Amino acid sequence: MITFKLNGQTVQGEEGQYILQVAEKYGVDIPTLCHHKALEPAGMCRLCTVELFDGRRSRFVTACNYPIWEGMEVQTDSEMVHQGRKLIVEMLLARCPEVPLLQKMAEDYGIGEPRFKKEEDTCILCGLCTRVCERMGANAISLTGRGVDMRVDTPYGVNSDDCLACGACASVCPTGHIDLDRVNRQHTRIQAQLIPSEYDVGLKGRKAVYVPYAQAVPNTPAIDRDVCMHFKTGGCKICTAFCGVDAIDHSMEDEIIELDVGSVVLSPGFEPFDPSKFDSYGYAKHPNVITSMEMERILSASGPTAGHLVRPSDHAEPKKIAWFQCVGSRDLNRCDNAYCSSVCCMYAIKEAVIAKEHAGDDLDCTIFYMDMRTHGKDFERFYDNAREKVGVRFIRSRVHTIDPAPDGDSLSVRYITEDGHTETETFDMIVLSIGLQISPETVQLAEKLGIELTPGNFGKTGSFEPVATSREGIFLCGAFQGPKDIPQSVVDSSAAASAAGEILSAARNTATKTPEEIPETNVVGEPPRIGVFVCRCGINIAGVVDVPAVAEYAKTLPYVVYASDNLYSCSQDTQEAMANIIRQKKLNRVVVAACTPKTHEPLFQETLVNAGLNKYLFEMANIRNQDSWVHKSDPERATEKAKDLVRMAVSKVALTEPLQEAELAIKPVAMVVGGGISGLTAARSLSRQGYETHVIEKEGQLGGQARSLYRTATGEDVQSKLAALVEEIQDDEKIQVHLNTRLAAVDGFVGNFKATLVCGDAEEELEHGVVILATGAEPLKPEEYAYGTDPRIVTSLELDRRLMDDDPLLKKAETAVFIQCVGSREPQRPYCSRVCCTHSIDNALELKRRNPDMTVYILYRDIRTYGEREYLYKQAREAGVIFIRYSVDNKPVVAVGKEKISVTVTDHILGRPVEIEADLLSLASAIVPPGDEALAQFFKVPLNDDGFFVEKHAKLGPSEFATDGVFLCGLAHYPKPVDEAVAQGRAAASRAVTLLARETIHTSGTVARTNPMDCASCGVCVAICPYSAPFFTTEGPFAGKAEINPVLCKGCGLCVASCRSGAISLKGFDNDQIFAQLFALNEETVV
Amino acid sequence: MSEWEPKIVSFLCNWCSYGAADLAGVSRMEYPPNIRVVRIPCTGRMDPKFFLAALREGADGVWVSG
Repeated sequence: MITFKLNGQTVQGEEGQYILQVAEKYGVDIPTLCHHKALEPAGMCRLCTVELFDGRRSRFVTACNYPIWEGMEVQTDSEMVHQGRKLIVEMLLARCPEVPLLQKMAEDYGIGEPRFKKEEDTCILCGLCTRVCERMGANAISLTGRGVDMRVDTPYGVNSDDCLACGACASVCPTGHIDLDRVNRQHTRIQAQLIPSEYDVGLKGRKAVYVPYAQAVPNTPAIDRDVCMHFKTGGCKICTAFCGVDAIDHSMEDEIIELDVGSVVLSPGFEPFDPSKFDSYGYAKHPNVITSMEMERILSASGPTAGHLVRPSDHAEPKKIAWFQCVGSRDLNRCDNAYCSSVCCMYAIKEAVIAKEHAGDDLDCTIFYMDMRTHGKDFERFYDNAREKVGVRFIRSRVHTIDPAPDGDSLSVRYITEDGHTETETFDMIVLSIGLQISPETVQLAEKLGIELTPGNFGKTGSFEPVATSREGIFLCGAFQGPKDIPQSVVDSSAAASAAGEILSAARNTATKTPEEIPETNVVGEPPRIGVFVCRCGINIAGVVDVPAVAEYAKTLPYVVYASDNLYSCSQDTQEAMANIIRQKKLNRVVVAACTPKTHEPLFQETLVNAGLNKYLFEMANIRNQDSWVHKSDPERATEKAKDLVRMAVSKVALTEPLQEAELAIKPVAMVVGGGISGLTAARSLSRQGYETHVIEKEGQLGGQARSLYRTATGEDVQSKLAALVEEIQDDEKIQVHLNTRLAAVDGFVGNFKATLVCGDAEEELEHGVVILATGAEPLKPEEYAYGTDPRIVTSLELDRRLMDDDPLLKKAETAVFIQCVGSREPQRPYCSRVCCTHSIDNALELKRRNPDMTVYILYRDIRTYGEREYLYKQAREAGVIFIRYSVDNKPVVAVGKEKISVTVTDHILGRPVEIEADLLSLASAIVPPGDEALAQFFKVPLNDDGFFVEKHAKLGPSEFATDGVFLCGLAHYPKPVDEAVAQGRAAASRAVTLLARETIHTSGTVARTNPMDCASCGVCVAICPYSAPFFTTEGPFAGKAEINPVLCKGCGLCVASCRSGAISLKGFDNDQIFAQLFALNEETVV
Repeated sequence: MSEWEPKIVSFLCNWCSYGAADLAGVSRMEYPPNIRVVRIPCTGRMDPKFFLAALREGADGVWVSG
């Protein structure tokens, strides 16, 4: 250690350190332009000049490269030093008068016009670029020439092979003299460019050390070996100099890890189609032709333009945007993707609606499409709303060519309207709605694993085992199974988990460890002894907030007996140290001022538990995410805010009390309501995973709607598969089937439900821990198209029955007509029934197979054969099935004659009515849910306007309800084909097992509690709670008063705020605690 | 008048806006440091008395988000 004086203060530094380094440690600011922490100092800019007194006389040295020695005295702030610096700045400004950084410095030093002759340079010859280039291991540039001719250049001033175009010189240049343009112009033979950010699909650059995106898990930076200079030259390693915890190890190698596993789930996802090969769209040539993925980023608040809608070429706000559908989908001519990508229609509408939200109503959004496929739950409503209320234009036309408009930025589009006219329109920007495809890497993986693929390269699965590959024990989910949206991917992933879980259920809980339990110290009745730990988070907090000052301040607050600062509070060793301090100082309340409780509260609570404290005696002050990171240009006020936040947290924590988490056993029994294909699949999966399961079916036999289905879209026979499933259920000892049974009452809550089952006159009680609602839906009985007046007019399911029975009429019929959307996509039922297009086309093909001479018509509005179902549509057209589109305001007219049924429809190409003489008319009738209010009431789960159940989350929780312990699958959720019903049955079982496998659940401590003495029994809390936690006590001295079931309470506090008598309190967020925080807003009013 | 800066107290829902405020930090967005956040479990927890208390403590504006 070397001791010396810095501005009169005694300071210490290590042998070999320079003055600047020690000054930095002690928070003494010395200006410099040529210093870089990771590079050897060079003393080039002279700005860091300080006054050194060596005991005899004073002289001036550069602080950055002058080593410290014992007993020296340094002045960084003297008048002489200031004058010297001012002169240096003046000279630098004269050399580079246009550099903003120097202009700012000159202003700070009070320099107006420099007294010296002004030059036009922008380089101050600080040599940072040449030193960093050397450090990179490239040594491509150096300071060349002498005296006034000195400049930064390559040898002989020619573009060099040694320059690897890493851009390090540009990144360290303080004046902006070197940028990537200059590197390309003067230094390198290869093109220097930003490293394209994968997350922003190349619209933005990223570094070689990067976190893929803000929400990435784990949120840890990675080094991109392909671009990292260290892996090219062995140089650089600058990142290690900046990492405060020595976490970077460049010598790490890829490892091959061998795991013994019982099953494998493949979820490799998709890659977006690359439209650059379509010359006619000019994606590769024209910057304003972008993909939908790029549009997603442009619209995103975290995107390259922070959500500001601008076009790439000139950053002007577009006035007209067009979307082109089916780019790389439904196309065998220009690419190999014959399938429909399922998701693009919906995302295009979403992007158009959001674009109008961002840019205002004046923005013209137009979607060019072939068939509008909004077959998902609530999607049709979104489409209707976009068209009718938001004003998105929809044009049914496939545009083939995009031409640049004369202005050079806009794009001209020629298309043919529905009535056959050619139109030309100019758009500012065109979005290509690119499809989903399987990457070559995934295809290779599939080959290696020996699993079969479909013609579209998706993993081949069966309708009855939609997540099982052709190889036993290997399952798949997500877009690898077929192009699909988020909810369906989530369903599949849960289904794959259940399929894997069935194989592994015997091994459940065999590889778990039980943590050691530390007895809890009783702190009730003790005065608060608060400990405050203020985190530096490396430089994340300490770089802005004066952390030691905050810790010192905390010591002055009421009840605070200990306060200190930590470098990284979340590190393992600090955790242990904190636990020790809690024990030693007998702390009974803890405040950590650090990052956000959203991510770190559980970790610190564990530290409390390890120190024997109840975990609710804790509070965090968010001085990073909501302070240092967002106020970095105002350190003083950020420190003030940190003190305020700590004071508020201390005031709150003083009022916390230990809270208990009740333990509750879960009855390991499941009840499945509905014995259709989805419910049966759920029951089978639960049983295979070891749980007793009861299937409640209102009818006399199992199978539901599947009993009426002939074949699946992939040609599998439904009846034989269904029979096998029913047999398996009936033979299963763990499954009990209750036929002709309905639910009369349900009591209880998650883990402990009690249902009253009624079968005829018999009544039975069933205790169960979880329930799956699989109550299905019914086909609509049509009230139009003369249905019911003639046996030749049938619904799709009735036609299936005839196909199964091999009805001779089917062979005799000369002409068959299918009418689509019977009762679907109508004002009274504004949803798409999802399955009917595929079903009708499949049946049309079957009729053609049985009688190739039959003329078959399909009258439709949009054909929605999503995913690989599209092949059937193509096949049908090839087989000669005639498709005629009608519009909802001009529906086909049916007249029953003796010989034939006459169907009149207005053809969309001819524009005039066509009369078809048919022998068979099949109506694709809507799928209608029973909308069972009573059942919904039993489990306190909601129904939507259409009568389908409302799941927990439309995207992320499709197979469960917001009510704990209640799950959902099958048609009761939304219309779906067999494969999706099976997948969701499995998914619901999988979600249910996550609860059952826990055996017990802990309630949260932060729940509401009533004080019956104050309760007026008004019932507002009972009515208002979304989780049905409050109820009226029926027994005891407080009968009739409201009580809250802690198991159901989610701690939202709605009841607390709505209680007129103030009878409800919310532990952890009680009135007195929130008031304490508010009173602590001002230092004077802390209580 | 241009010197004057309001003091703002905000009540942010733990599940959405509080997380959004965290994300603003992660994204290194900057905003003036004249705001103090009180984390609440849900905006349903808001009580009229909280507004009054905040105003009485000198807040010029109260922002509830969730």
